Amino acid sequence: MPALQLALHFIRRDLRNRYLGSFSGGGWALLQPLVQLTVYGVVFVYVFKARVPGADAPGYVPFLALGLWPWVAFSEGLSRAATAIQDNAALIGKIALPREVLVFAAVAASFLIHGLGFCAIVVALRLFGVPVDLLLLPVALGGFVQLFVLALGIAFLLAAIQVFVRDLAPALPQLLMLWMFASPIFYAREQLPERYQGWLDLNPFTPYAELFRALLLHSGKVTIASQAASLLTAAVVFALGYAMFRRLAPHFEDFL
Amino acid sequence: MTPDVLVEAHGLGKTYPLVFRSRDRARALWHLLSGRGHAQSTNVLRDVDLVVRRGESLGLIGENGAGKSTLLKLLTGVLTPSSGKVAVYGRVGALLELGAGFHPDYSGRDNIALSAALYGLAAHEISAKLPDIIAFADIGTYIDEPVKHYSSGMVVRLGFAIVAALRPDLLITDEVLAVGDESFQKKCVRWIEEYLRNGGTLILVSHSMYHVQKLCRHACWLRQGAIAASGDVFDVTQAYLAYQETKSVAAPPARGNIVAQGLEFHLLDLALNGDTQDVPLVLERGAGVRVRVRVYSRDGREPVITVGIVRADGTPVYGVSSEMDGVRARRESENVYAAEIEFPDLPLLPGSYSIRAHPLDPEGVRLFDTLERAVVVRGESREFGLIRLQHRWIEPATSPEPTRSMQA
Repeated sequence: MPALQLALHFIRRDLRNRYLGSFSGGGWALLQPLVQLTVYGVVFVYVFKARVPGADAPGYVPFLALGLWPWVAFSEGLSRAATAIQDNAALIGKIALPREVLVFAAVAASFLIHGLGFCAIVVALRLFGVPVDLLLLPVALGGFVQLFVLALGIAFLLAAIQVFVRDLAPALPQLLMLWMFASPIFYAREQLPERYQGWLDLNPFTPYAELFRALLLHSGKVTIASQAASLLTAAVVFALGYAMFRRLAPHFEDFL
Repeated sequence: MTPDVLVEAHGLGKTYPLVFRSRDRARALWHLLSGRGHAQSTNVLRDVDLVVRRGESLGLIGENGAGKSTLLKLLTGVLTPSSGKVAVYGRVGALLELGAGFHPDYSGRDNIALSAALYGLAAHEISAKLPDIIAFADIGTYIDEPVKHYSSGMVVRLGFAIVAALRPDLLITDEVLAVGDESFQKKCVRWIEEYLRNGGTLILVSHSMYHVQKLCRHACWLRQGAIAASGDVFDVTQAYLAYQETKSVAAPPARGNIVAQGLEFHLLDLALNGDTQDVPLVLERGAGVRVRVRVYSRDGREPVITVGIVRADGTPVYGVSSEMDGVRARRESENVYAAEIEFPDLPLLPGSYSIRAHPLDPEGVRLFDTLERAVVVRGESREFGLIRLQHRWIEPATSPEPTRSMQA
C-alpha cells in the first residue's frame, strides 16, 4: 500500500527532524517527559504535599507518570498535526500526495516516541520497586492505540481548520494547557469536590488516565460502561474529523 | 475510457477564491463545509478540453499568466478543478519543480527514497532503481552529502534522474529544460527524445518555440485561461508568434484621415496577386507575390513608390523603391499613378509578415502614406530568422559521425 509506505517515510522524517544534530538523538524523547515528571514531582510532592487518596494508594510520582506520558503523546501529537498541512504547503503545491498522510505521520511520530517512553518509564518504575503490573502493559498499550485514534480524529479537524483560520495554532497551546488541568492528570477524581466529579466524564481524556492507573497500578476503578463510551467517542471523533478533512482537502491548495 | 488515452479533460475550469482578510478565510471555510461554492473568485482557466493519447507529444504555450501552470497542476492532481472533469491514466512523472520534495538536511540518497515514495514507488522498486538514478544524476560523492550543500544544478540533476528512472507513462515538464548547464540540458533533451521514440507521452510547457517544435508534434496555445488554438505544432506556434509580434505594434492611423488631410500624395490601394481586399494573404513557402500600388497625386506629379516586406512586429526584411531601380510609375489618369513589382520565389521562412507600400515625393525624400497587408507563409521549418539563406555544409573528406549543435 503506497500511502502507508509514504506515511512510514514521513514518520521517519519527522523523527529524524526532531533530533537531527542533537547529541543524544532519540534520548531527548525520554529525557523531556522525565524532566517534566521530575519538576512536577518535586513541586507537587515537596511543595504542595500532594498525595493520592486511599489506603493502599500508590506513590504520587508513579501516579503522575501514568497520566502524564499519555497526555504528552496526545497533546504533542495534536499541536504538531495542527500545522502539518500548513508546514508542508510547498510540498502540497508541487506533488499530488494523499494529504492525510502528513497528519497521520505527525500524530504517529508523537505516539511512537512517547509510547516507547511510556513503556520505558513503566519498566523503570518496576525496577525502582513500585508494584507495577507488567503483565497488563500490553492491555494498556491497547488503550494507547485507542487514544491514538481519538488524537487522529481531532488532529484531522485541527489541521484542516488551520489552513483556513490561522488563529488556531497560536491559541492551541493555551487550550491544551487548560485541557491538561481539566483532566485527572495531577489529581485523582476523588480529590475533586463531589458535585464536580461527574464533570470529568465529559472530558474524553479522562477514561485514558484512569484506565492506565487502574490497569498498571490497580489504583481507582474503571467501569466497562465508561470504557465502552470512550471507545465509541474515539470512533465517532475519528470518523467526523476524517470526513471533514476529506471534504476540505481538495481546497487546501487554494488557501495555503 | 479507451486504454490509449492518457489524459482526458472536458470543460476544465479553475477559479481561485478571492481572500483578502482572515474574515474571508473563515467565511470560505463555512461555505465549503456547508456545501456552497466560493462567494468571490477569480477565473484563471475555463472550458479547456484536452485529450492526449499514448505516444503523443503536446506542447503547451502561452504568455505568463495564461494558465499553463494551473492546467499542469490540474493534470497532476495537485489542484482540484472548479468545474469540468479531468482524468489521467497511468503513471505520471512530473518535472514541475525539480527537487520540490527534497529536504535540505538529508543526503541525496535519503531524498531519492522519499521522492520515489512520493511518486508511489514501492521500497523494493526504489532500491532496484537507486544505482540507475545515481548514475544518471552524475553528481559524484555529493550523493551522500546533505542536499543543502548542492548547487541548484545538482538539485535539478537529481530531480530529473528520479523522474527519468520512474519510466512514467506520461511525462509532464514545466520549462525544465531551461535549467542546468548546457551538457545536462543536452542530456535531458536526449533522454526525452529517447523516451518519445520508445512510445512515451509528453506534455511540455515552454516559452522556447525551438524546444516545443523539436520535441512536440502537437501544440496547444492558452490565452487568458482559454484555448486559443490547438493542433499541429507548426501551425499553432506560428499563430502564437504572430500574435506576440503584432501585439507590440501600434494600430495604423485610419485611412479616412489621411485622405482628408489633402496631402500631396496618398495611396489608393495595394493589391497582392491582384487582390485588394484587406485579408491576410496565405502563401506556400517559396511562392512568389506580385504587388501593385496605386497612388493619387494631388498636383499630378509623378511619385516614387516604395515597397517593402516587414515581419509582423515591424522588423524590416527588405525594401526597395522605384527610384532605386530606375523605374517610373505608370500614369493611369491625370492624378493616378500605378506601379507593379514581383517577388518571385520568396525565401521567407514560415511565419507572419506584412507587405508595405509608401508614396514618396518625386525627389524621393519625403514619405507620405503607408498601406500594409498581412502575409502568412505556411510550412514547417525549424530554421531561425526571417529568410532562408543559400548555404551548404562543408564536410571533411572522411567525415566521422555528423554532430549537430543544439542551443536554446
